[in-house]
Amino acid sequence: MSTSTSTPAAPARARRSDGPRLNFGRVLRSEWIKVTTVPSTLILLASTLVVMVGLAALFAWSLQTGQAQLDSGGPPPQMGPPGEPLPDFGDLARGAPSSGIIFGQLLIASLAVVLIASEWATGMIRSTMVAVPKRVPALLAKNVIAAAVSFLIGAAAALLSYLVAQPILAVEDLAFALSDDNIVASILNTGTYLALIAVISMGIGTLLRNTAGGVVTAVGLFFVLPVIVVNLISGLADWIPDAARFLPTNAGERLVAVTAEEGALTQLEGGLVMAAWAVVLLVASLLVTRRRDV
Amino acid sequence: MIEAQGLFKRYGDKTAVNGISFTVHPGRVTGFLGPNGAGKSTTMRMIVGLDTPSAGSVSVNGRRYAEHRAPLREVGALLEAKAFHTKRSAYNHLRAMAATHGIPNSRVNEVIEMTGLGPVAKKRVGGFSMGMGQRLGIAVAMLGDPQTVILDEPVNGLDPEGVQWIRHLARGLAAEGRTVFLSSHLMSEMAMTADHLIVIGRGRIIADAPVSEILAGRGQLRTRVRTDRPSDLLAALRGDGTTSTFLEPDLLEITGPDPRRIAEAALRQQVLVYELTPLQASLEEAYMELTASEVEYSSHDLSLGPPAQGVSEGSRS
Repeated sequence: MSTSTSTPAAPARARRSDGPRLNFGRVLRSEWIKVTTVPSTLILLASTLVVMVGLAALFAWSLQTGQAQLDSGGPPPQMGPPGEPLPDFGDLARGAPSSGIIFGQLLIASLAVVLIASEWATGMIRSTMVAVPKRVPALLAKNVIAAAVSFLIGAAAALLSYLVAQPILAVEDLAFALSDDNIVASILNTGTYLALIAVISMGIGTLLRNTAGGVVTAVGLFFVLPVIVVNLISGLADWIPDAARFLPTNAGERLVAVTAEEGALTQLEGGLVMAAWAVVLLVASLLVTRRRDV
Repeated sequence: MIEAQGLFKRYGDKTAVNGISFTVHPGRVTGFLGPNGAGKSTTMRMIVGLDTPSAGSVSVNGRRYAEHRAPLREVGALLEAKAFHTKRSAYNHLRAMAATHGIPNSRVNEVIEMTGLGPVAKKRVGGFSMGMGQRLGIAVAMLGDPQTVILDEPVNGLDPEGVQWIRHLARGLAAEGRTVFLSSHLMSEMAMTADHLIVIGRGRIIADAPVSEILAGRGQLRTRVRTDRPSDLLAALRGDGTTSTFLEPDLLEITGPDPRRIAEAALRQQVLVYELTPLQASLEEAYMELTASEVEYSSHDLSLGPPAQGVSEGSRS
């Protein structure tokens, strides 16, 4: 590089001991700057919003056509596992705000893993840990930012999903009001769900320090494990389906559900189980990071 | 002021730093010199808490680095280049670092100006050359206007202009009374910049002294002499701890007496001398001598066909 460089020494300013120093609020601000200054993060967040709202529109549309089919006396549409009684479409419709979660969580999980693992991949982590040598505040701040952003994206997507779904559902008279039971809670909890997904994923990413490994592990925990448990091994022992309720995404499903179900966790229980996963992984990642060489 | 006491670092069964103690004083440039793999970077990483010592401790201005309330204002460190997210711009990297300590954006602009990063500040760090990466690392180190500055191999990848700039920077900071600790594996670089040297090899400190002392203590006076009658000249110089080597039939290297005494002896013996060159012990030679048995990776004579990446077992003895 052949740029000209000015005089070497920093301006000899008066040294004061009460100058700027490290505190958690400032670390939060630093992590916020980091999130907003890498283009891929912003793209991933925007995609999450678009995909979730798009899925909700598709969901509403499929309910609308199903109801139309039923009204015209055609064969009942296939809306779930074969052999089970057809659920009430009016109830199903209330799931529209949170219907984008299934893909939204995939994107949020990837984002959370990337946010932390990319620091190790690029060497950024050394700058971070030199600036915040106690380490725990840096990692906590990153979790707070990831959770807050995921909450906002989730809740905003759920609200938009609600709004987009209404005119589609209204065609078949399936529309419902925001003031109906549990609708606002479901919208907010869609945000909570994604926030917890973010913390769980960031914990995984911190422990593994590897983007690809972290994403695969998170996807395995959120998608693959429930499928394996339900479809392949649930018949092996009675306790397996019981225990499966405590997998993070299965518990989270109850957190955003509008109606209670027999034998399933309640909304609060679902939320607490998911939060327990998040807390365990967060604490583990903090302890390990504090002791590990960077 | 950096104080290390009995600092140890083991990775598995390999000892990177083997119980070293040293003090780096303010107001001068202290060079940290040693071959690759000697433990320089590990020591510097322990100073700022990236690595935890296996035993011993190191403090900066009386406290462990992590215990300071404003670490970036206490110590500015450039450790192995490229500790940056490749997709972020240099400006934003500096902003994020500054934000942790509430350092204002005006200071970010100052260090960008100071390191000459202006034209590339808004570009992604991923596209930076090694030299620009070094400049950004130094910009980060200077953000907090710190009292202590640690630079690990700062001249790596810099062009000559950049190398000179680093020299001025280090000397300027020391002149302001700051503590400057600078590592390199290049003796020549240290000769230009440092006032004091800590030489490390295989995780141990080999020397800890002012540069002038290291130079003076090494290598006696040597003189290269070309003459038609070397044996007659040597006979006249016999005694007084004179030793000599024949480089060519008519070319001698004489250790011991100074050139004037050699010339006087030649005059007495009527021996024609047509070259008389005083040889100075260079810092480079002193360094080679100091570290000869301490190099981790020594090169082999390729004609012997040893393993390509030979860790020299021979040099461990």
